[in-house]
Amino acid sequence: MEKKIAVYICTGCGIGDALDIDALSKVAKGEFKVPICKTDGQLCGPEGVALIKQDIENDGVDTVVIAGCSARVNYDVFKFGSDKIVERVNLREQVIWCHTADDEDTQMLAEDYMRMGLVKQKNMNVPEPYHVESFSRNIMVLGGGLTGLTAALESAKAGYSTILVEKEAELGGYVGKMYKQVPMKPPFTDLEENCIPNLVKAVEDAGVKIYKSATVENTAGAPGMFDVTIKQDDGTVQERVGAIVLATGAKPYEADKLGHLGFGKFPNVITQSMFEEMAVAGTPEASKVAFIQCAGSRDQEHLPYCSAACCIESIKQALYVKEKNDEANVYVYYKDIRSNGQYEHFYMKAQQEGVVFVKGDVTEITEEDGKLTIEADDKTMGTTSLADEFDYVVLANGMVPTAALGDLMEEESTTDEAAAACDEPKASTPPIIKANLLNLVYRQGPELPALKYGFPDSHYICFPYETRRTGIYAAGVVRAPMDMLSAVEDGAGAAMKAIQCVEVTEKGEAVHPRSGDMSFPEFNMNRCTQCKRCTEECPFGAINEDEKGNPLPNPSRCRRCGTCMGACPERIISFKNYSVPMVGNMVKAIEMPEEDEEKPRILIFACDNDAIPALDMAGINHMQYNSWVRIIPLRCLGSLNLVWINDAMGRGFDGVLLMGCKHGDDYQCHFMKGSELAEIRLSKISETLDRLGLESERVRATTVSIMDYDKIPAMLDEFAADLEELGPNPMKDFQ
Amino acid sequence: MRYSYYPGCSSEATAKANAHSIEGVAKALDVQLEEIPDWNCCGASVASGVVGDFTQLVVTARNLAIAETKGLDVVTGCSSCYMTLAVANKKFKQDEHFRAKANEALAAAGLNYNGTLQVRQFLDVIINDVGLDKVAQKVKKSLDGLTVAGYVGCQTVRALPFEFDDPEQPVFMDRLMEALGATAADFPMRARCCGSSSTIPARDIVLDLGYKIFESAVAGGAQVIVTPCPMCQLNLDAYQSLVNRKYGTNFNIPVLFFTQLMAVAFGLSLEDQAFKYSIVSPYEALVQYSK
Amino acid sequence: MVTPDKERAAEQAVPHSFKKKRGDNYFMEQKKIFSEPVKYDLTFAREIYRLENGSYIKQCMNCGLCTVSCATRDVMEYPPRQLFNLIKLGKKEEVLTSNTFWSCTSCCTCKARCPRGIPIIDVMHDLKKYAIEYGYTDYPQAAFYKAFWTEMSSRGKMFEGGMTARYFLTRGLDEIVKAMDMKDVGISMLKHGRMPLLPPKKIKGLGGLKKIISKAQELDRKEAAR
Ligand code: SF4
Ligand code: SF4
Ligand code: SF4
Ligand code: SF4
Repeated sequence: MEKKIAVYICTGCGIGDALDIDALSKVAKGEFKVPICKTDGQLCGPEGVALIKQDIENDGVDTVVIAGCSARVNYDVFKFGSDKIVERVNLREQVIWCHTADDEDTQMLAEDYMRMGLVKQKNMNVPEPYHVESFSRNIMVLGGGLTGLTAALESAKAGYSTILVEKEAELGGYVGKMYKQVPMKPPFTDLEENCIPNLVKAVEDAGVKIYKSATVENTAGAPGMFDVTIKQDDGTVQERVGAIVLATGAKPYEADKLGHLGFGKFPNVITQSMFEEMAVAGTPEASKVAFIQCAGSRDQEHLPYCSAACCIESIKQALYVKEKNDEANVYVYYKDIRSNGQYEHFYMKAQQEGVVFVKGDVTEITEEDGKLTIEADDKTMGTTSLADEFDYVVLANGMVPTAALGDLMEEESTTDEAAAACDEPKASTPPIIKANLLNLVYRQGPELPALKYGFPDSHYICFPYETRRTGIYAAGVVRAPMDMLSAVEDGAGAAMKAIQCVEVTEKGEAVHPRSGDMSFPEFNMNRCTQCKRCTEECPFGAINEDEKGNPLPNPSRCRRCGTCMGACPERIISFKNYSVPMVGNMVKAIEMPEEDEEKPRILIFACDNDAIPALDMAGINHMQYNSWVRIIPLRCLGSLNLVWINDAMGRGFDGVLLMGCKHGDDYQCHFMKGSELAEIRLSKISETLDRLGLESERVRATTVSIMDYDKIPAMLDEFAADLEELGPNPMKDFQ
Repeated sequence: MRYSYYPGCSSEATAKANAHSIEGVAKALDVQLEEIPDWNCCGASVASGVVGDFTQLVVTARNLAIAETKGLDVVTGCSSCYMTLAVANKKFKQDEHFRAKANEALAAAGLNYNGTLQVRQFLDVIINDVGLDKVAQKVKKSLDGLTVAGYVGCQTVRALPFEFDDPEQPVFMDRLMEALGATAADFPMRARCCGSSSTIPARDIVLDLGYKIFESAVAGGAQVIVTPCPMCQLNLDAYQSLVNRKYGTNFNIPVLFFTQLMAVAFGLSLEDQAFKYSIVSPYEALVQYSK
Repeated sequence: MVTPDKERAAEQAVPHSFKKKRGDNYFMEQKKIFSEPVKYDLTFAREIYRLENGSYIKQCMNCGLCTVSCATRDVMEYPPRQLFNLIKLGKKEEVLTSNTFWSCTSCCTCKARCPRGIPIIDVMHDLKKYAIEYGYTDYPQAAFYKAFWTEMSSRGKMFEGGMTARYFLTRGLDEIVKAMDMKDVGISMLKHGRMPLLPPKKIKGLGGLKKIISKAQELDRKEAAR
């Protein structure tokens, strides 16, 4: 069906003063023959919106192109129903606020953006949501410790049928076996009774379906339709659930490896959990006890990371000793006391109770007549210390996530011909540890991809619970080392995420970060060569494959990043409103001045998540940069298809710049691997460019975060200056 | 505006200039200061090192108890007195156990203090009660062209941090100098220590610290240093020559109470300006402003 | 604008003739404390914790802010933090013979900055009192402090002349000789009318004041005994 297009140019916010609006209208009316093209002094005002609505009503307009402010603002104002296409041409943040008013080049820029917007809408269709069959709204929580119980309770309280799976015979996990717990409420100074019994009762009362002594044999499917096979002694059960919270916790670090601290040598050198057991049985009468912090943690030979909870756990146990015997001498040997947040009060409380904190490294532990002696380097005094007569030495032996316990999955060697024929370099596959927790029936492996130290990969800053398997949310100490207060918050947070997931999946929308997006990748299978690019590169394991190697997409697992689209050498993957031809045509819509006009052109592919906001911010702050640039937003740099760069260079662009998020271990990429993949692809194209006699420096990738907005002008101007040195793209002549 | 006034021991000896200029400036600004009858020494930062905090605070509180019978807030022109009075006052207000115990001791002389007063510094009163606008209106002879290092020192701002100004880099002294028409010197040492009472037992502390302060004031282009504190004034004025001797320097920078400069700008009497007590002569630097 | 950098630079702009090679590394270089490893004997610490502000020391988290802030850190044998650690180590002699608390000028910088809210200057005052009580009075400051208090409590007001005289009386002739180059200061003070030769009048309520003092000390003793 032919689209009914209308273009609205806003002249407010100074746009009318800075640009020649008539000329701009001519682009729409003349070049593109758009039937309706109107201007308004304030399009976002009630009259402006009414004007658009009127045309929709009276003239059956279904495609609205608004030339004015950035799509990042007023999106709620310009909302005309999901059956309409709304395209925004950013004349404000990216044109008039950062380029000279009343200027030939600024005007050319605005007109190009108008052309790009019009071409874009031509290549777009209204997305139809994907609906899961036999959809389930149930939430499954894996692990019945503090985090899991909290998650299950929150989910049940919110009205979702909840299933809890615990591998031990009793609920409660590590915390359940404690004598007392660290404070969880203000003033954060006093020991508290163990909260687990009450929590278990609340979970039972809330009607959570509980499987004890149970493990997950396998997990198949996708959000809204996970089929989980649960194994108990007496056989297996299958449950269909919509989303999963992984809260399988951590294990104490193996104390047997801590022989240098006397463990295994002297019976009274014990671990935190052993001390906890003793306390449950009745804290031993002791007149001198030492706690040794970071026993194994923050140690390159053992656990390189901080286990986060052991400082306050030792403080708690020190108070057990004081509780029993006020006169007891209690020492804590530490590197740094990491009593985060409110636990600073707890630390101070222990100090006030007379627990002595010694900043120092323990060098040796010896024993005589059952009493222990600790030799240490006292860091604040710069001396060695020798304290003796200890009844017990307790090692704060840290924690290892259950996700890290298992063998690393072997990378399968590709013998596939089609794959071998595809000569692009490959991104590294993420490490997957066979930890026997989820046993996913995914082509990409049975567990969650890990980032570092075996903790599941997640976008740590922006959405920590989202793992790289959509619909599965990691929480508590399996996700990152943390204290109890954080674990409770995590449990609740992950439960909310799981709920959000089933809700949006039911509507056919994407989860974070493209919330609300209803488009999903569609495959034109006749042309698929089974190269496996898409199945391998999808950061979220959304694409399985059949026996013949054909991709089998799972749209509800998909985050709609477009990485598969960028990866596919045959260019057979596209979205209803985002495709390789769409962007390609936008590139082609940009007018290319003749070489002698001395107006270079720079094409920028900027990631929607951080780079575009940063560019907008630069505009908001009225920072000026050269007006040779033409910016095309991408869902993620991962969706970058190399053909666009070919197109651009062929059309005579003097340079192409990719702006995406930081990658590496501390990546910022909202789709985890997108920006890294884009750079890998880019490394490929530079050879080709060189072969064509085009300097590969003309095509570059850079990383920006939203905080870098103030560096953007310099970044762009520098690139322009470099290009000027290289001279114009020789391909211009062939146009 | 009426206040009880606690002059402090130095007002009768080393810091007569402070007493005179405060009196003159207060009169000019319609601030009535009524001396606390039969006040006693506050003990400064020394007494507690001999007899303990509690005894010193009680001794100090004797003054507050007497002032309370009149019901007027207490103002003092000495930083050290301010510290002891204000800290004692705060304890009376906040610590019930202390209040009961202290009143038991005060009762030995038939006194009692309920903690109803505020303890203020004269500088604080000028800035927050009188206001810089009024100060500016009173200026007869603008100090235009004079660069002043506003040396606030320690206890003025740090006895009770944030009660009055930023404890690290206070600004009010500079604002006050600007209201008089002067330029405030860029003076990072404005709230660092002068060495206090170490002059007698460990003089080098005072000389070393004094050196840093002069160095910084001169680098900031200051022609005069002003301070609200008698101890600072004494150390920087009387020991300047010894600093020069120790470091081979040539500092010759007058050190005045800020109220003295106010007296100059307000065109008050020479008695109020009280230059005659200065050891480093201010006449040269101020000749064009002082009559 | 005064930036922290500038402030730091200004504070360090000194050719420290006086500077001793001490500070946080003090132990590395000298003193018997090194001859054998330390133990953490809490007997002395517990005694100090019982002083008026003593129990605050327990709260120290070893951040060192007091040390870098201290106006007299260059002359202190042990900066405040280290002094507190010495207490923890049970090094009574070292603590009580150190010049640390005597060098403190009560500038309040550490107190204002200590993230743990330790009223460090009040602790210093407690230690002075404790040292005087136990006869650790070798430092000139001890004599000065005592002279100050005697003068003040006998008159109700401070008389510098009297205090100075008392100070030199206790410290002996040596000190006067050392102080000779200060006579210039004294003379110029006299010349400028800032050093009255006669003491101020005693306050009228001196009797009452003395009663207050002895009552306060009695209450203190009672509380300490508890
Ligand atoms: S929480 Fe404390 S003891 Fe545990 S690893 Fe971190 S710093 Fe070490
Ligand atoms: S690569 Fe992105 S768009 Fe493609 S299937 Fe995976 S998540 Fe979806
Ligand atoms: S500033 Fe306070 S907490 Fe830090 S070392 Fe000094 S006394 Fe301890
Ligand atoms: S109050 Fe004393 S210890 Fe604290 S910084 Fe000042 S001089 Fe140093």
